[in-house]
Amino acid sequence: MSKKYTLNELLIITCAKEIKDYQNVMLGVGLPTTAGALAKALYAPNATLMMESGIIDFEPLVPLNHIADAHSCQGFSYATDLFSAFTMTYRGFVDVCFLGVGQIDKYGNVNTTCVGDYRNPELRLPGSGGAADFISYAKKTVLTLRGGQFVEKLDYFTSPGYLEGGSSRDDSGLYPQGSGPSMLLSTRGVFRFDPETKEMYLSRIHPGVTIEEVRKEVPWDLKVSPNLSQTDHPTDREIDFVRRLAPTESVGRKVRTELFIENALKRAGKRK
Amino acid sequence: MTQNNENKVMSGREAVSSFVHDGDELIIGNYTVGTCTELVFEICRQQKENFTLYSQSGILDVDILVNAGCVDRLVTTYVMRSGGKTGGGAVERALQDGSIEMEDYTNFNYNARLAAGMHGFTFMPVLEGVMKTDLFKKRSFMGKDKYRVIECPYTGKKVLTVPAANPDVCIVHVQRADKYGNAQYWGALGSVAAAALCSDRIIVSCEEIVDHDVIKRSPNFTIIPAFRVNAVVEAPWGVHPTEVLGYYNRDLFFYGMFTNANTRADKVKEWMDEWVYGCPDRETYINHYINKYGSGMLDRLRAKPFYSAPANYGAAFTSAWDEKGKERSMGITLDEMEKLLDERGMLYE
Repeated sequence: MSKKYTLNELLIITCAKEIKDYQNVMLGVGLPTTAGALAKALYAPNATLMMESGIIDFEPLVPLNHIADAHSCQGFSYATDLFSAFTMTYRGFVDVCFLGVGQIDKYGNVNTTCVGDYRNPELRLPGSGGAADFISYAKKTVLTLRGGQFVEKLDYFTSPGYLEGGSSRDDSGLYPQGSGPSMLLSTRGVFRFDPETKEMYLSRIHPGVTIEEVRKEVPWDLKVSPNLSQTDHPTDREIDFVRRLAPTESVGRKVRTELFIENALKRAGKRK
Repeated sequence: MTQNNENKVMSGREAVSSFVHDGDELIIGNYTVGTCTELVFEICRQQKENFTLYSQSGILDVDILVNAGCVDRLVTTYVMRSGGKTGGGAVERALQDGSIEMEDYTNFNYNARLAAGMHGFTFMPVLEGVMKTDLFKKRSFMGKDKYRVIECPYTGKKVLTVPAANPDVCIVHVQRADKYGNAQYWGALGSVAAAALCSDRIIVSCEEIVDHDVIKRSPNFTIIPAFRVNAVVEAPWGVHPTEVLGYYNRDLFFYGMFTNANTRADKVKEWMDEWVYGCPDRETYINHYINKYGSGMLDRLRAKPFYSAPANYGAAFTSAWDEKGKERSMGITLDEMEKLLDERGMLYE
């Protein structure tokens, strides 16, 4: 029996397995950067990790604060600019990218811009950033959903998944053939997209989660794979790697923030 | 156009009052990392207003300018969200009460507007994937000019385009500059150079002003040339609580304090009163920080050295004349050359 893991660790480790050796990988901040570092250390030593800020071929030594965080590594191989990071994606040099989700529909179209009316939003979310460009042109895209929601209709359509499903994405002529989201990872399971209809279905389920719990969060009649399996239990080696590299990712934002403020105030108080 | 041999060093106050005007299109040059907070704070202190603000990716810089009431219109791709489900931040509040209008782009398509402006083009073809999305369909104050579709004259394909951006003034922080304004920056390049070079006026703040010789010895680090720069402001800790590669890390504690405050209008006003309006310049701000939290809190952030390997800019020789005074290709001295030219009737009175 391997050691116990946190939910964040499970997500990072599951995400990392989407990276194959020799791939060019465009990473977003947080979970994906840690997953990228893990993949490079354990499964994909020849992967090239990239960020849209123009940091290309880097190895994180500490968790990143953001996607332009050159403080997280000791140097890197190629410093280019944002413009070129996207044109290299456009030209087909990026194999996989990772994006977070605010809202997602059944065909993997994503909203990261707002909840409610765009002009008078209930919640203003960050926006596109590079998301719409990357999911358009990376060969495949891994989506992660933590705190977001499944919806019938997006409040704002930020990033194109499989559009209206079926062959509509490929037929549009706007995107490389065969590109699009390959997986959605949520806190409850792993979703894939049907090769024909492009509708999302539940492919794997995290340990301790029931299908009913997954269905409760999805407003449409969610299809479940006949071969539904449980998400792999992380190995000790994987857990140890994540915990050493990114302990704050292991514990998650809530605990981290609580301890961080407590610790900083203690330190500041001591100094005075 | 400014001079490349004119001393442009001045205070942040002087730079902002001379080169930032009400109603300007103002662009923040820095992208996500090391944003020019001292210049942002100075703009707030001088109560400049009615900006159309451009930012590749808004962090606390955009939210502070919006909190201060400086911004009418915002063009960006990303805004910070301070709270979880409640209290998104200044931009969210301003959208909800209708005090700002905002135009959303993707990272590339925003950057392409700067690239067009920087190179003198009127528009730029961009990544057309957004044509299926609300980024293309929903438009704010730019209306039809947010995106236009043309036909490629070579392939007949539909081409999505964005108009050039040429903001009035760029504020930007770099690691080092000389007194003329040659600005050197390294690390995550983002769209920093494009943001500066597409603008009419440029204010550079830097961690340190260095001799011109330092610049000459490493010109590949220079992202903005002196002849484009209007003001150079030396501002150590000039981006705190964000970070500068090779100088200091992000102050996550203090950044978190701002983020917390920014979830509510009344709380962030108190924060602004204390740290922006209450400190006339960066030195006072840093002293206030040290008095409040101790200098150890800053010392922990200081970068340890990890120098780049020196690149050799040297050449075989630096004079056409060798050590014996002979020209290297013709093998004659200057005297001999002049004599020869005279003999052949090639010299004129």
